[in-house]
Amino acid sequence: MQPTLATLKSRAVAALIALVFLLVAAPGHAQLRLDITQGVRDAVPIAVVPFGGQAEGGANDIAAVVANDLRMSGRFAPLERRDMVSRPTSGAEIRVEDWRLLKSDFIVVGRVEPDGDRLAVTFELHNVRTGASLLAQRLPSTEKGLRATAHRIADLVFERLTGIPGAFSTRIAYVAVDGKPPAQRYRLIVADADGFSPRTVLESREPIMSPAWSPDGQKLAYVSFESKVSAVYVQQLATGQRSRVSARAGINGAPAWSPDGRKLALTLSRDGNLDIYTLDLATQTLTRVTSDEAIDTEAEWSKDGQSLYFTSDRAGNAQVYQVRLDEARRAERVTFTNGYNARPRSSPDGKQLALVTLDRGGYRIGVMDLASRNLRVLTNARQDESPSFAPNGALVIYATREGGRGALAFASSDGAFQQRLSSDQGDVRDPAWQPFTTPR
Amino acid sequence: MPGFFKEHLRPLAGSAGLHLLLVGALVLAALRWTSQQPPVELAIQGYVVDGPVKVRPLPEPREAPAEQAPQQVEAVKPPEPAVEPPEDRRAEEAAAAERAAAQRREQQLAQERATQQREAQVAREKAAAEQRRAKEAERKRAEEAAAKRKATEEAERKKAETAEAKRKADEKAQAEREAKVRAEREADLQRRLAAEEEEGAAAAARAGVMDEYRLMLVQTIERNWSRPPSARAGLECTLYVTQAPGGSVVDVKLGTCNGDQAVRESITTAVYKSSPLPAPRDPRAFERRLEIVFRPTE
Repeated sequence: MQPTLATLKSRAVAALIALVFLLVAAPGHAQLRLDITQGVRDAVPIAVVPFGGQAEGGANDIAAVVANDLRMSGRFAPLERRDMVSRPTSGAEIRVEDWRLLKSDFIVVGRVEPDGDRLAVTFELHNVRTGASLLAQRLPSTEKGLRATAHRIADLVFERLTGIPGAFSTRIAYVAVDGKPPAQRYRLIVADADGFSPRTVLESREPIMSPAWSPDGQKLAYVSFESKVSAVYVQQLATGQRSRVSARAGINGAPAWSPDGRKLALTLSRDGNLDIYTLDLATQTLTRVTSDEAIDTEAEWSKDGQSLYFTSDRAGNAQVYQVRLDEARRAERVTFTNGYNARPRSSPDGKQLALVTLDRGGYRIGVMDLASRNLRVLTNARQDESPSFAPNGALVIYATREGGRGALAFASSDGAFQQRLSSDQGDVRDPAWQPFTTPR
Repeated sequence: MPGFFKEHLRPLAGSAGLHLLLVGALVLAALRWTSQQPPVELAIQGYVVDGPVKVRPLPEPREAPAEQAPQQVEAVKPPEPAVEPPEDRRAEEAAAAERAAAQRREQQLAQERATQQREAQVAREKAAAEQRRAKEAERKRAEEAAAKRKATEEAERKKAETAEAKRKADEKAQAEREAKVRAEREADLQRRLAAEEEEGAAAAARAGVMDEYRLMLVQTIERNWSRPPSARAGLECTLYVTQAPGGSVVDVKLGTCNGDQAVRESITTAVYKSSPLPAPRDPRAFERRLEIVFRPTE
């Protein structure tokens, strides 16, 4: 009887405690408390309904451009058009029940209307689950500017739903190579971020390499062998005006813009060995930064402009180092994880470096957190190179190999997905993502 | 005789008077009887009265005896006139004897002597009878007193016995009552323990159902939460959700939240997307109102 009683009492006490908790939780607001610590990284289902006032499937199909942008970001899964049961063009026409059945969380509708001799594009973003209207805007446009308007809509939708400014209105620069040696043709191309609307800004029979965007997004620095030897040029995109900024003896390569746009970091071999220099563009003052016997190349500025990241094989194999631009100019090693880390590129917030890393037998794109030194590998091919952050930091564009040819691809900077950028421009390489051209 | 009365009355009245002040009414009643009424009766009466006074714990109101006290003083006098008639008779007889002349003096003297002797004889006899009667009365009184005492004692004893019996009965009843209370208390305790055990088991079962319910809800919502990049560790947002009995989400209110617009949109969407929410195995575990805290780990 005694132990039973004791058991009873302890149980009774436990029951009482449980009861008290239940009762205490009761009177306030909610009765049952849930803690959500996990979520999914699955792409968010969204319906981008063909816009009114447009023929579906045309080159300027706004909904198609918006859907493709969102798909390309890796964060959204646009609903296939053939699954859409209706074609609302305004919020009032949306029957949310239908779209819930189609398992869409959000819906974008809109229409193109004449606005004098121009066009106006109206669009709305609605939450299918809550029924809330999230965005409703009217954007001025033109027949030729409809794609740009579509990218703008994608930017706004992306920002509203992810908290990150969209980078779909920015551009990418890359180099395309046609033909076989000795009859090759090199082109420096600037295209929309989705690969559309490519424009050739430089064409040469000699190699073109390492395009780099100026911080204001208006100029490109690049290496051209057009004079049979390497030289660094800076070209104004709007006017096509360009100037040769470095044509010193030996190699002139790997230009990188300082954050204030006044200097270029360069790799030069004028002193017999590949080292890092900075060049003041206004004064043409050249400053040697590294003087190691090893190869130092591929410089990238830190966001504060006070130091440079670069690749060096001074430890026997390629690793990333950082050197402060003070008198001492002592270089410190930054990467330790893998046997090969090269081509560092800073994230827009300066907290991460994208780089090429030798990972499990393949050269892949990695992102290293500078504070924790943790390296996250984003890709899984064998020969990925030339990473470049999108200006919103959400994506990294890089070069990869596909069917023996160079191709471009995106990876989300959290490593959740990669996506090829289809291109009909043959062998493409050296992508560089344009910074935001307007201050944000 | 009056001397006898006085002789007996004074000490009796004196001794009883102290007490009789309180029982004057009875004394008065006794004195209103004829003078022949033997005062001893009064004395006995006094005893009788005396007895109950000791026993009764509560005396009659004190005012009544105080008023009757003067009556008692007056009541002592009336026996005196009753003494006079024999004196008148003696005077007439003496006058008749003088008028019958001297010659009959001898006879008269003899007669007188005889009469006196007779009277003395009668007086002696009467005194003896009186004495006998007094003795008898004394005896009777004693007997009665004894009987009374005995009766009183008997009554006392009986009363004590009754009291004892009553006390015993009371004690027994008390003990029984206490035993009953103890038993009831014990039974109550057992009942309560049993109830608590049942409650405990029910609570445990409920807690099991509750845990399961909670887990189902959490998993459903987590599955439906597309975490935006800004939902990092350190984020803490609370939603107050009301669901209909079928699990349909009918209301979502945002509580405190340190997340951006995208986070707020995503968590609200996750809850509505989870509608209808899963139902608990035991319908009693259903909670209409939920407090959902989004606190992602990196």
